[in-house]
Amino acid sequence: MTNKSLPPEFADLAPFLDWALATADERYAYRRNASRAELKAFYDAILPRTEAILALVDQYPLGALPEELHPLYHLVLSLAEVAPHIELYGGAPGVPYAFDETRFVATHGAQDTALGLSPTAA
Amino acid sequence: MSETVHRWMEQYPELGSGPISTEPYISPEWYEREKEKIFHKVWLCVGRENELPKVGDYKVKRLAAADTSVIIVRAKDGKIRAFHNACAHRGNTVITETGEETYGGSKAAIMTCRFHGWVYDAEGQLKQVPSEQRFYDCFSKEKNGLTPVHLDTWQGFLFVNVAEQPETTLAEFLGEYANHFNGFPFDELDFGFTYYTYVDCNWKVAHDAFAEAYHVDTIHAGSFPNVFSTGLQNVKLMGPHRTCAVCLTLGAKPTPVSGIANGLAGASLVSQRGESMLPPAINPDKRDDFAFELSVLFPNTLLHISEGIWFTHQFWPIAHNKTLWEGRYYVKAPTTHSQRWAIEHAMTLQRNAWLEDTATMEDTQRAMQSRAKVEQHLQDDEILIRHGAVVVDQFVNA
Ligand code: FES
Ligand SMILES: [Fe+2]
Repeated sequence: MTNKSLPPEFADLAPFLDWALATADERYAYRRNASRAELKAFYDAILPRTEAILALVDQYPLGALPEELHPLYHLVLSLAEVAPHIELYGGAPGVPYAFDETRFVATHGAQDTALGLSPTAA
Repeated sequence: MSETVHRWMEQYPELGSGPISTEPYISPEWYEREKEKIFHKVWLCVGRENELPKVGDYKVKRLAAADTSVIIVRAKDGKIRAFHNACAHRGNTVITETGEETYGGSKAAIMTCRFHGWVYDAEGQLKQVPSEQRFYDCFSKEKNGLTPVHLDTWQGFLFVNVAEQPETTLAEFLGEYANHFNGFPFDELDFGFTYYTYVDCNWKVAHDAFAEAYHVDTIHAGSFPNVFSTGLQNVKLMGPHRTCAVCLTLGAKPTPVSGIANGLAGASLVSQRGESMLPPAINPDKRDDFAFELSVLFPNTLLHISEGIWFTHQFWPIAHNKTLWEGRYYVKAPTTHSQRWAIEHAMTLQRNAWLEDTATMEDTQRAMQSRAKVEQHLQDDEILIRHGAVVVDQFVNA
């Protein structure tokens, strides 16, 4: 395991570092297996910081994010995965009335989103 | 604008209005006839030119319903060609497939069969045969190239036709459909996500589930709760193809995260946008509630376009009750990390909506196979499904 860390101004988000996951596959699996309480706590912690996080990562060209900011960016990417569950699905960890999520394959699913690559890049 | 409750039937009375048989969805014999009369005969959309940017790049696509796999490869002359993935020696696949789609490339633009090392170039010529002298006089390399498959392109889309002699050119096959979509910037919106799964249902069950907007208020109550279907507009049937505008009214305010994302990139179907990149035949009345154009490129490709987004669904039959579904979603490539994040959010929401769409399919198939109901009833706004059934019937009984 690499040591994930956050810039000092976001140090208070450290309890949520387990959500700092590089790939869409990891983020979706973590969300599915999280409890309702975990989803809600994560959402409530990240939402008010979202614009500040995005402003910080936008100081670097896409694809050139310094290594030490990857965990922070991965956190906000997890918010993209989690948000519909809090905002639309009443806090449920799974997509309600849906096809079996584990049978859906995302061809970009194993790619590190922080690299800014095309989803079709190998 | 007159909008009677049966306006599509009035516009297209030749389709009729009676119930539709479920037999074509559950009969193995009917499926065999679809393979022969449709998938072995018509042009099939198998990808985009820009998936193969460099000389020697190839893609192998399995076409179970046409009983083959095709290699689509860019040769040294820059042209893309298609061949059956079958070796002239003892019939092995030339390129070893790793799934429904296998991508690869060779700088030298050659392809080598793994079995005994026969080498073909990207024009399909057999170039090298190990121990060639041990074959007999009747053998010639010239006559043993790869078997070509007809390939043509439209707006950057690659189409193949496995018939020895296609009954129509691609341009004839597309007809008016091509004009309808010409000019949309498909190539500029090339940041594409692909999802796929196998669904235990007939390919037409999958087609039908996506080819109407009647289900939006029920099936998408989860992912698009503030979105209400205002029905179809501008239905246009064009030979075997069909299109319409899906109109939705949007709820007043987006959720918190959607609000942030929509401000960063118009990457979601439910975000508001200004200027138009749509061709003139799309949303001709400039309706405010226009959400996206929903079209079916016969037989198995659904193409949707909207401002800044386009997406496709493809339904590849594997058996009469098994289908490979592929969903692809394309936006303009992001230039910042925050745009990339907004696109991730839009794609997540769309994926969830697709999970809702696919949820009914296996249930529908199982219930149809019970034969408790042997016909289905279609309302006026389900005209794309009715047209699909009529067209399939015409092909199968031709
Ligand atoms: S089958 Fe291809 S080289 Fe023998
Ligand atoms: Fe849908």
